[in-house]
Amino acid sequence: MPNQNGSVYGLTILSPIIEDPKATPSHDLQIRDYLAQLSTREDSPFAQAPGTHLARLVVMDDVVYVGAPSREEHLKSKYLIFESNCDGDLDSYLSGLATKIPEHLDAVWKHCVGYPGAANRTAFLSYMKACQLETTFFFAAVNNKSVTEALRALQTQTAVADFIATHQGVDAATLQREFIQFAAHLKSQPIPPPGSMGPHRTIKTGGHNE
Amino acid sequence: MSNINGKVYAMNAITPMKTWKTWILRVAFFVLDHVKPMQKDLIDLSFIEFARWVVVPRNGLPFLGNGQQEEELTYDYLLFFSNFNGTWNQYIDAFSAVLSKGLNLVWRWSEKFPGSVPVTLFKEYIARVQFDTDYYYTAYPHATANDVKSAHIVQASFDSLSTAAAHYTPQQFADAWLTFVLEVQTHLGETGEAPIAG
Repeated sequence: MPNQNGSVYGLTILSPIIEDPKATPSHDLQIRDYLAQLSTREDSPFAQAPGTHLARLVVMDDVVYVGAPSREEHLKSKYLIFESNCDGDLDSYLSGLATKIPEHLDAVWKHCVGYPGAANRTAFLSYMKACQLETTFFFAAVNNKSVTEALRALQTQTAVADFIATHQGVDAATLQREFIQFAAHLKSQPIPPPGSMGPHRTIKTGGHNE
Repeated sequence: MSNINGKVYAMNAITPMKTWKTWILRVAFFVLDHVKPMQKDLIDLSFIEFARWVVVPRNGLPFLGNGQQEEELTYDYLLFFSNFNGTWNQYIDAFSAVLSKGLNLVWRWSEKFPGSVPVTLFKEYIARVQFDTDYYYTAYPHATANDVKSAHIVQASFDSLSTAAAHYTPQQFADAWLTFVLEVQTHLGETGEAPIAG
């Protein structure tokens, strides 16, 4: 199925935005205003809900005219594009969003035609699926790891680099003992929050090419 | 509005296609999807985290009633969404240099596509059909696609060593440690803030 690549799902939703000449500001502008206020870091709505690797929200104003001799044409509605690269199956993912961040979903999608609200789970799922487009070709560089696994691995990568750097030339018995302690400590650490920039690390200097 | 979050750039592009050409493109994508060696160049361009193409038939945009006017388009449209590391210019340059045949196979069915080489006309075309992102989120903004791939390699080696470490003699551990370091040493790149690109 083209929407799925391994365990990663490529979700593409286009929701028509309400065209109301009496609305001031227009609904598409209200969506843009709201999105401009949202954090993109660990307090992002997508960080609070499970399973999003990368996601974007885009107001598509119109199709593009590429010049003569092609024909110029225009959309009658603007569309809110929701593009997400997420874990698991679609129902679980959308239900997770509706459970964790209903206020954000409602604040954005209330400007879209026919949006029923996140509280009515069945209607919400039906609405999102009615607006879904099937992906024709979906590429994922890593297609068999969850968001949690990726964050854990990045944490391990940094910690292992530091451990190796600080244990050059250590005798075997000490190295073994300290590695076992290090591994136990690392496994007990909480997984870094999604959306965060990770631990602050000063840039190492001193290379020949600097 | 921002197309950039940490080390990732979000690109959106839309191009019109005559409806009869769409079917050729669908066949091309079907083959690309099922013949994995054909994806080698795409995989080798290791700065792409996720990318997708979506063919939207001229009557395929969601129509929900409730006062929405039904679209009356004559073209099908090809939507392209990419999540890549680096700058727009680096991305388009690399695409043009490495994937020119693949790109031509995908976009030659779009109206007025000039070809991916020479790159100047190609960039002009992409700039024309691209539109900006209003909100962009990534779970790991400090990491590139290569960082993530490498981190999973480190994690697998680390899990293997940490499971066995307590059962080794110090000398056995020293040997296993050496093997571990050899496995992970090229996968320990620094993550963090992206460099400022000029």
